[in-house]
Amino acid sequence: MDNTVHTYIADNTKLIIPGREVARYLGYSREAIAAGDDLIDATIEKVRGIMAGKAVYCRYPLDFFDEDGIVMPYGRIHSKQLRDNLNGCTMIYIFAATIGAAFDRELTRARVRSLADAALLQAAGAAAIEAVCDELNEKLAKEAAEEGFKLHRRFSPGYGDFLLENQKGLFEILNPSKFIGLSLMDTMIMSPEKSVSAVIGAEG
Amino acid sequence: MNILDHIKKGFTYFDGGCGTILQAAGLQPGELPERWNLEHADVIQGMHYDYLLSGVNILKTNTFGANIMKFSGEGELHAIIRAAVDNARSAINAVEDHKPLKGRSDDFSRTSAEHYVALDVGPLGKLLKPLGDLDFEDAYDVFLKTVEAGTACGADLILIETMNDIYEAKAAILAAKESGLPVFLTTAYDESHKLLTGADPRSVVAVAEGLGVDALGVNCSLGPDEMMGIVDELCEYASVPVIVNPNAGLPRTEDGKTVYDVLPEGFAASMEKIAAKGARILGGCCGTTPAHIGAMIEKARKLKPLPLSEKQHTLISSYTHSVEFGTRPILIGERINPTGKKRLKEALRNDDMDYILQQGLLQQDQHADVLDVNVGLPEIDEPEMMVKAVMQLQAVCDLPLQIDTTDPVAMEKALRRYNGKPMINSVNGKEEVMKQVFPLAKKYGGLLVALTIDEEGIPATAEGRLKIARNIYEKAAEYGIKKKDIIVDPLAMSISAEPESAKITLDALKLIREEENGLTSLGVSNISFGLPKRELVNGIFFTMAMMNGLSAAIMNPGSMEMMKAYRSFCALKALDENCMEYIGFTDEYEAALAAAAPASGTEVKKPAASVSYDGIKDERLIPLVDTVVKGLKEKAGALTAELLAADIPAMDIIDGALIPALDIVGKGFEAKRVFLPQLLMSADSASAAFESIKDKIAADGEKQESKGRLILATVKGDIHDIGKNIVKVLLENYGFDVIDLGKDVPPELIVETAIREDIKLVGLSALMTTTVPAMEETIKLLHEKWPDCKTCVGGAVMTPEYAKMINADRYCKDAMETVRFAEEFFSA
Repeated sequence: MDNTVHTYIADNTKLIIPGREVARYLGYSREAIAAGDDLIDATIEKVRGIMAGKAVYCRYPLDFFDEDGIVMPYGRIHSKQLRDNLNGCTMIYIFAATIGAAFDRELTRARVRSLADAALLQAAGAAAIEAVCDELNEKLAKEAAEEGFKLHRRFSPGYGDFLLENQKGLFEILNPSKFIGLSLMDTMIMSPEKSVSAVIGAEG
Repeated sequence: MNILDHIKKGFTYFDGGCGTILQAAGLQPGELPERWNLEHADVIQGMHYDYLLSGVNILKTNTFGANIMKFSGEGELHAIIRAAVDNARSAINAVEDHKPLKGRSDDFSRTSAEHYVALDVGPLGKLLKPLGDLDFEDAYDVFLKTVEAGTACGADLILIETMNDIYEAKAAILAAKESGLPVFLTTAYDESHKLLTGADPRSVVAVAEGLGVDALGVNCSLGPDEMMGIVDELCEYASVPVIVNPNAGLPRTEDGKTVYDVLPEGFAASMEKIAAKGARILGGCCGTTPAHIGAMIEKARKLKPLPLSEKQHTLISSYTHSVEFGTRPILIGERINPTGKKRLKEALRNDDMDYILQQGLLQQDQHADVLDVNVGLPEIDEPEMMVKAVMQLQAVCDLPLQIDTTDPVAMEKALRRYNGKPMINSVNGKEEVMKQVFPLAKKYGGLLVALTIDEEGIPATAEGRLKIARNIYEKAAEYGIKKKDIIVDPLAMSISAEPESAKITLDALKLIREEENGLTSLGVSNISFGLPKRELVNGIFFTMAMMNGLSAAIMNPGSMEMMKAYRSFCALKALDENCMEYIGFTDEYEAALAAAAPASGTEVKKPAASVSYDGIKDERLIPLVDTVVKGLKEKAGALTAELLAADIPAMDIIDGALIPALDIVGKGFEAKRVFLPQLLMSADSASAAFESIKDKIAADGEKQESKGRLILATVKGDIHDIGKNIVKVLLENYGFDVIDLGKDVPPELIVETAIREDIKLVGLSALMTTTVPAMEETIKLLHEKWPDCKTCVGGAVMTPEYAKMINADRYCKDAMETVRFAEEFFSA
């Protein structure tokens, strides 16, 4: 199987960043979410202007051992919940995505200037990275479908018993600092701030 | 021939990619290729040998990731680097002696005459602070270890490559320069022709040449055709030879193998175009093979390289963009300088960095091109504060900075940590000062402000000032500092003290421009010291100075008189295309006039929906209450200033208007009628009102009353601090004194501070489940060492149950609840 690390660049202008997600992150009531909000719409456009949605991904054959063991490309791990998620899969995609460092800088500026702006940006940034992941997911699902595979839901280190330490392995394989400027800190947190790493099982 | 002579003489050829060759030889994903220097020396030597056969001059050692972060044992690191240099050297020996490798018979006719081994230094894979968690000095130390090993093993030069952050590149260059070997830098740009952390090619040239690299260029990420624009820009601005090492296009999969889409012939044809643009050092990166490089060299050998030339652009830069001097006057914002500014002095004494950052951002909004940073106060540790100010300003503001200090220790520390190429304020004609400052400017790079003053004082004639300028140019040249990196300040002095002073300064500007073609700068507003309505004189003097060739002004970009002069001058001198900036300025001008008109007359026609102001006893305060409830930040600040000017005591404004207004919004928030952004807009407005109150208190020399002091911190390991900041601002708005220890705070620091400052309430925040243990540890340590102190906790992952489990005294679900708890706590 081809293990090449591919780079994916999202088109900011076309990316769908739903305002209701942003409102949800901000703790709006159900009625307020439904009503929509100009502030949120304006913030989404601001984020669109500064974000650079990028991802790296690759895929590997998948194998299991024991009851909860998974053979990851970087080594053997245990996780009951991920194993359940990957049930029936024979291939695994791994990816890491970010909306870039410019967003972090804008957020730092907002923290100094205005808390309201900072909170809005924070929420819109979270929705933006989710949107990049969704778009990448869709693309991978389409490509996988052509080969007769069906993708499972994406699963990130830190979910349930899929330990955050798995970040190390994912980053060794993907080397995202080189391709998309995404790096891993000693605390296993990613930098830039709005970033996601995950695995996606492929069944078929 | 020395490599530095070789690159001046003609084309020099780098080898190509390594990764694809090693993968084809069996390198596994996740396996560290540097180990192959020891484990598969034959493969590495064979690769070098093949490149040499195709005609390359410089071999990159297989040490891209050879650093102590990946190879923790220094012994192993040293062994790998030793083997890597030896592998390259033995391939060179084989080729130079025409001894084919075992089992091969090769044609040596295409090899070059001169060969060099470049110690290859790649990025560390971590982002530097403040974006990431790697400290600049730690990065420097890591690079230094690699550089020292490579130098000891006999590398001929150091190639720092694939850098996608200019700050990391700076750390690597500083370390590499310690070796005394030639230093080359190539950086990796993305499809928008910027580094991943934002710098454009011109900025990279400014920084790298400032630090003294011997050649610079681009590698990786893109194929040669996608690099053309980058190469154009590098060739336009770089005085040192330009290096171009592209990928063979993009990777894709064919029959389960990774192939790159640019083939040798196509690669060579594109590189021929790149050579014609002026690049002199040519090679390849990912996906290129000896066949690609061989085809490229064959074509290049038929070409003549463009001559090298010293470019006359004067550039400074931040981490994203550069500013060029000599085209139109550059505005240097003067507001971060405590001289005559009480509020800034107070902020410096109280370590109130937010105020300093706000001044920076404000001046950026007001169209400053550069920010002057001067934090000199007798009672503070200037080097420490200077580094702090520079680090924090460059984290929030992307303008280049002017490091303004007379303390050489502060200057060196700030220059070292600065992320870009700064202005250095200043040197002058005194021998002792030149001896101190020139070595720093040479080592770190920068545009030096040179004051025309020497041991004899300030000359009373323009000619005398020109003479000092000439002396400074000459002495600087002895240190290798170019004339284009010096900007002369012929000193503006008050006309109220010396009637001729403006005339002398203006003549000096003209002389320096005409006789020396030199750049000039002035602290414009000094001219009016001691006069009433100083802005009027300043604006006209600024115009006159610009007419006499002034290249940059240290000034207040918030002054309408100065901006009027500047915008009009640029429009009149055809320095403002279609007068667009002038037209934009007229809107700002109108707005400033409107803002200067009294705001308090505004009647409150209607309170915000479902709000009543019946509880406000003092009618004069209702407009301010309404402004805070509606979240109108600028107006809140202006209204408060007016109320204070009308002699309403600060405490009456706080208790009678700000707190009731916040309560109205806070109750709406608790009842889910208003949401977080509206709550925070009101908090921002109240903060603006407090800022006006602080200005007044600083001016009157009074102290603000406090309702209680407490500590806030985001616990160790957690870097998310927006929630904590929201709590902080609301608490401050309610009159509490908050000691904010920031994010990722170790338990010991929290406890130490609580004991030292006699604090009885500590608020802790955590966003991630993984940092809850750190919170528990902090509470445990507090209970042990400072048992009277209470704790309240909050954050996304916190629940009342969690809070109980870790022995916190109180769980607060949001900022409003924290305020209520603090009120309860301190009134008890």
